[in-house]
Amino acid sequence: MARNKYDVDEDLSHEFDAASVLRMLRYLRPHGRRVLAAVALMIAASLVSLLGPYAIKIAIDDCIPRGDIRGLAVIAAVLIAAQAVGAVCLWIRIKVMNDIGQGVVHSIRSDIFRRLQELPFSYFDSRPHGKILIRVVNYVNSLSDLLSNGIINLITDLFSLVFIIVFMFVIDARLTLVCLAGLPVLAVAVLALKKRQRETWQDLSRKQSNLNAYLHEALSGVKVTQSLARAAENERIFASLGDKWRSSWMRAVGTIFLVWPTIEVISVLGVCLVYLCGVSWLKEGMTVGVLVAFVGYVWRFWSPISTIGNFYTSLVQAAAYLERIFETIDEPASISDAPGSVALPPIRGHVEFRDVRFSYEPGRRTLDGVSFSAEPGSRIAIVGPTGAGKTTIVNLLSRFYAPDSGAILVDGADIQDVTVKSLRSQMGVMLQDSFLFSGTILDNIRYGRLDAADEEVVEAAKAVHADAFISSLKEGYGTAVNERGIRLSMGQRQLISFARALLADPAILILDEATSSVDTETERAIQKGLDRLLRGRTSFVIAHRLSTIRDADRILFIDKGRILEAGTHEELSELRGAYYGLYASMHTFD
Amino acid sequence: MHPWLRAHLKKHVVAYCLAVSMTLVVSAINLVNPLLAGVLVDRVIIAGELSLLWKILGIMVLAVVVKSTIRYSYQMICERVSQDVLRSCRQELFVKLQRMDFGYFDRTKTGDIMAHMTGDLDAVRHFIAWVVYQIAENLIMFVAAIAALFFVDWRLTLAMLAVAPFIGALTFALARKVKPTFAAVRAQFSRLNSTVQENIAGNRVVRALTREDYETDKFQAENGAYRDRNVESAAVWARYIPPIEFFSGVLPVILILVGGAMIIRGEMTLGGLVTFNGLVWAINQPMRMAGWLVNDVQRYAAAADRLDKLFALQSALPGGRKGLRPASIEGRVEFRNVSFSYGDENVLEGVDFVAEPGQTIGILGPTGSGKSSIGRLMCRYYDATSGEILLDGVDVRDYDLDFLRSKVGVAMQDVFLFSDTIEGNIAFGCPDAPMREIVRAAELANAHEFVGELDQGYDTIIGERGVGLSGGQRQRVALARLLLASPPVMILDDTTSSVDIETEERIQESLKSLRGTRTMFIIAHRVSSLMHADRILVIKDGRVAERGTHEELRALGGYYEEVYRHQTGSGARAAARPEGTTSSRPGCEE
Repeated sequence: MARNKYDVDEDLSHEFDAASVLRMLRYLRPHGRRVLAAVALMIAASLVSLLGPYAIKIAIDDCIPRGDIRGLAVIAAVLIAAQAVGAVCLWIRIKVMNDIGQGVVHSIRSDIFRRLQELPFSYFDSRPHGKILIRVVNYVNSLSDLLSNGIINLITDLFSLVFIIVFMFVIDARLTLVCLAGLPVLAVAVLALKKRQRETWQDLSRKQSNLNAYLHEALSGVKVTQSLARAAENERIFASLGDKWRSSWMRAVGTIFLVWPTIEVISVLGVCLVYLCGVSWLKEGMTVGVLVAFVGYVWRFWSPISTIGNFYTSLVQAAAYLERIFETIDEPASISDAPGSVALPPIRGHVEFRDVRFSYEPGRRTLDGVSFSAEPGSRIAIVGPTGAGKTTIVNLLSRFYAPDSGAILVDGADIQDVTVKSLRSQMGVMLQDSFLFSGTILDNIRYGRLDAADEEVVEAAKAVHADAFISSLKEGYGTAVNERGIRLSMGQRQLISFARALLADPAILILDEATSSVDTETERAIQKGLDRLLRGRTSFVIAHRLSTIRDADRILFIDKGRILEAGTHEELSELRGAYYGLYASMHTFD
Repeated sequence: MHPWLRAHLKKHVVAYCLAVSMTLVVSAINLVNPLLAGVLVDRVIIAGELSLLWKILGIMVLAVVVKSTIRYSYQMICERVSQDVLRSCRQELFVKLQRMDFGYFDRTKTGDIMAHMTGDLDAVRHFIAWVVYQIAENLIMFVAAIAALFFVDWRLTLAMLAVAPFIGALTFALARKVKPTFAAVRAQFSRLNSTVQENIAGNRVVRALTREDYETDKFQAENGAYRDRNVESAAVWARYIPPIEFFSGVLPVILILVGGAMIIRGEMTLGGLVTFNGLVWAINQPMRMAGWLVNDVQRYAAAADRLDKLFALQSALPGGRKGLRPASIEGRVEFRNVSFSYGDENVLEGVDFVAEPGQTIGILGPTGSGKSSIGRLMCRYYDATSGEILLDGVDVRDYDLDFLRSKVGVAMQDVFLFSDTIEGNIAFGCPDAPMREIVRAAELANAHEFVGELDQGYDTIIGERGVGLSGGQRQRVALARLLLASPPVMILDDTTSSVDIETEERIQESLKSLRGTRTMFIIAHRVSSLMHADRILVIKDGRVAERGTHEELRALGGYYEEVYRHQTGSGARAAARPEGTTSSRPGCEE
C-alpha cells in the first residue's frame, strides 16, 4: 500500500451507501426502547402543540362571536396544561436523547479504538498519525447530534407530518390536496443539490484530515524544525493547508445553505396556492375560521418538512465522516488468530526459522530464505549491516508481520497457528523505538507487567543500571515523562524501556539495539548482570557493538536478507569471512 | 469578549457588522408575512376586497425571495469571517507553538495541544459563524415584533410581556450553571484526545508488550468519562430549557384570553387578533431560543477560556536580546563556566571549553552525563543557568533566535523523520535545494546507496517517524538532512549509534572532508566515531573530566582509555580476540 502523507488526500475504499445507513442505525438498536419512548413523547408533545391553532379556531369561530368569556378561559386552561405537558416531555426528551447520542458515540468510538488495537504496524506506518487521530476523536464527535437529535427529530417529524396532514384533511380535504402539491417539487430540488453536497463535504473531510496530520507532525517533530530553523517554511505550509480547508469549507456550506431557501420558497408558493384556492372557494361555503385555521396548519406542515430536509443535509455531511470511520473499523487485521488456533503453552524457548521469506513491499524482498534454530535458554546475536533485515527477523518472531513463505516455530508449534496474545505475552520485546507514555517513570516501567509491585519495578531498574540516575532526579521514580520529553537522554530512555521489557519476565527476550545509546561502561555493567537476567530465557540480541555480541551462544551474520555466517564468536573468527571483517574493523580504528 | 478574539475579528469588523445588520432586513421581512396574513383575513376574506389578493400574495412571495437571498448572503459572510478568524487564530497559535521552548514540550502532551487546535477553536468558529447572527436575528425580531404589536394594541402587548421576567431569570440561572459543565466537557475531550494520540504514537510498544487490553481499558475510562461529562452537562440545561419553553408557550394563551376578552368588549378588531396571532411566534421564538443560545454562548466561553492559556504562551527563551544577524559566522564556540539544570540537580557544572572555527570536537561520557545538554545550550533549546556561551565571541542570547539556529545545527539522537518523501526529508532544512545537492548530502551521509535500492528512490514516502526504514537508515537520512543544511556549526548527537561499523567508517571519511570548513561537535559512545577529533572532551557528572587528543587521553589512562580498551576488546576479554587482528591494531598495545 502506498504510504500517505499530509498533503495528499486519502483514497476511499468504500463509499457511503444504503447499507452504511443501516449499519449506522444498528448502533441505535441497544437503545431501541428509549428511542421509541423518546419518539412517543415527542409525538405526544407535537400533538399537544397542534392544539394551539385548533383552539384559536374555536376561539375565533365560536367563543368570540358568542362573547363567551368562560369558553375562552376553558380554552386557556387547556392550553396551559398542554404547555406543561409539553415542557415535561421536552425535559425527558433532552435527557434521553443525550444519553442515546452520547451512548452511540461512545460505542462507535469503542469499536474504532478496539479495531486500532488489532491493526498491524503497516496500518500505522502507511499514513500520518494525525489522520488516524481525527477519525477516532473528531469525526466520531461530529456524529453525536445526527444520531440523537437528528434521528429522533426525523421520526417524530414524520409522525407529526402525518398528524398534520390528517388534521388538514379533517378541516378541508381539497385544500390539503392543494397543499401537498408542493412536495414533489421540493423532492426534485433537494435531490438536485445532493451530488454537489456529497462531493463538497467529502472534500472538506479530507482537507481537515490533511491539516490535522500536518499539525500533529509539526508538533511531534518540533525539535527538528527548531534545530534546522525551518519554522517559517512550516508556517507557510500550514497556512496553505488552512487556505485549502477554508475554501473547501466555503464550497461545502455554500451548497448546504441553499437547501433552506429552496424549502422556504417552495413553501411560500404552496401557501399562496392555498390562499388562492381558499379565497376562490369562499363562495362555495368555506368559513373564514376554516381558512384561518388551515393556513395555520399549512405553515406547520412545512416545518417538519424543513426538519427532514435538515436531517438529510446533516446525513450527507455525516456520511463523509462515517465512511472514514467504517473504513477503519473494516480494515482487515492482517495479523489475527487463525480459526482453530490454540493458546501457546508456557514457552520452553526453542525457536526455529524454516526458510522464511518476507517482503514489506511487493518486489523488495527483505528476508530471502532464513533458516536457523535456537535452543531453549540460548543467547543469539544478530549482526550485519544496517538494513540487512535484522529487525525484520525479530518482527516476524513476535508476529508483528506474517512471513510470505516458510515457517517460524516456537517449541515446535508454528506461531501462525497459536493465538497472538499467548505468544506475545510470553515474549519481551525491546524495540529500537523507545517510546515512553506520559506518566511517571514508575508507570512506564510497570507497563511491562501491570501487577508488579513497586519493589519489583525498582529491581528491574537496578538490573539495567537505571536506578542511579532515576534516584538522582528530584522526584525519583515519580518524575513525569512523556512521549517527546527530552529531559531524559536517549540512553536513559533506552534503559527505562529495557527495564520495562525485563519486568515482563518473558520466556523469550528480544533486545533490538537495546543499548545503542548507552555508554560503554553502563553497557558493560548491564552485560555482567545479563547472564543472570537471561538465565532460562532464549534471547535475541541485535547490536553493533562487539562487547554486546561476543558472549552470545550463537551469532548470525545477516546480509541482504540471508544468513551469511552462523556460529560462535570463535568459530566465526576462524572463518575469516564477513563477521571477521566486521570484528576486525572494530579493532582497526584507522 | 476575549482579547485575542477581538484582535482577530478587527480586520473583519466591517463585513461582520454588515452581515449582522442584514439580519435586520430579514427580521423585518419575517414580520411582513404575518401582517399580510392579517390584512388578508380582514380585507380580502372578511371584507371581500378580492382585488387585493394577488397583490398581497405577490408581496409575500417577493418578501421570501428577498429574505432568502439576503439571509444566504449574510450566512456566507459570517461563515467567511469565521473561517478567516479560525485560520488566523490557528496560524497565530501554530507560529507560537513552533517557537516554544523545549521545556514547554516536556510538560505538555501533544494530544492536549491538538484538542485546543481542533475542538476548542471549532467552538470559537461556531460562535462567530452561527451563534452571533442567531442572537442578532432573534433579538431584532423580538424588538420589532414588540414594537409592531405596541402599534396595534399596547395593552395586549404589555399583558404578553408579563412572562418576560420569568424567562429572563431562568436564562440567567442557566448561563451561570451550565458553563462549568461545558468546561468539564472540554477538559475531558482533551484527556480523551491525549489518550488516543499516545496509543497511536506508541502502537509498537503496545503490541510488543501485548498491552492492548490495558490500553483499551484506559481508553474506555476516558471515553466513558467523556460521555458522562456530556450527559451531566445536558442534565443541567435539561432542567432549565423546558421551563423557558413553557413560559414562552404561555404567550398564545394570554393572547386568546386577553385578546378574546378585548374583542368581546369591542376594544379590538378580529383582524387585530389575527395579526397578534400571526406575530406571537416572533416573540415566542426568541424567548424559546434564549435558553439554547445562552447554552451556545457558554459553550463558546468555556472553549475560549481554555484557549486564553494557549494565546498567552510565552516562550521561556526570549527571541534574542539584541536580535543580531551578522552577515557571516566563523564558527568559534566558547563555553565559559556554564552550569545548567532542568530543575533537578545540575546537569552541567562549570563547563569550559573553546572550539576554534573548523575544529572537530569529540564528546564522550556516561549516559546522562550532560553531553546532549551541551548541544542543546549551544542552539538555545534551553538557556544556561549560569555562565556564558559565546558564538564568535558574542553571547548566544544576543543573536536572533532563528538566525542562531540556522547557524548551529543539530542532528539529534532521537531521529524524527516526517511522513514525506526521502527527498522532502533531506531537504527539510532547505526546501529549495536542487536535487543534485540532495543527492550529494545523501552520499556524504552514506544514504545514497540504500535510497537507490528503494523502488521509488528519493521519491519513496516514508511513514511518520521514518517507519519503513531501519534505525541505521533513519539516522543516515537525518544526517543527510543536517549535512544539506550545512550550518557553520554542526552538532552530531550520537547520530551513528545504530549504524554498522563499516558504514560508520565511510561516514567518518565524509565528515573528514568537511574538516576545516565547519566547526563540528561529535557526541558518541563509540571511540571510533570521535578518535580523529582535534580535541576530545570527556564529560562526567556534568563536568569536563578529561580533555585532549586521542593520544593524550589514552596516555592519561582515565575514563577514555578504559572505554577505548573495552571497545577494542583489549580489556578483560582480550583472550577471545581472534588471532591476526592484533597486528592490525596499531597503537593498541598492552
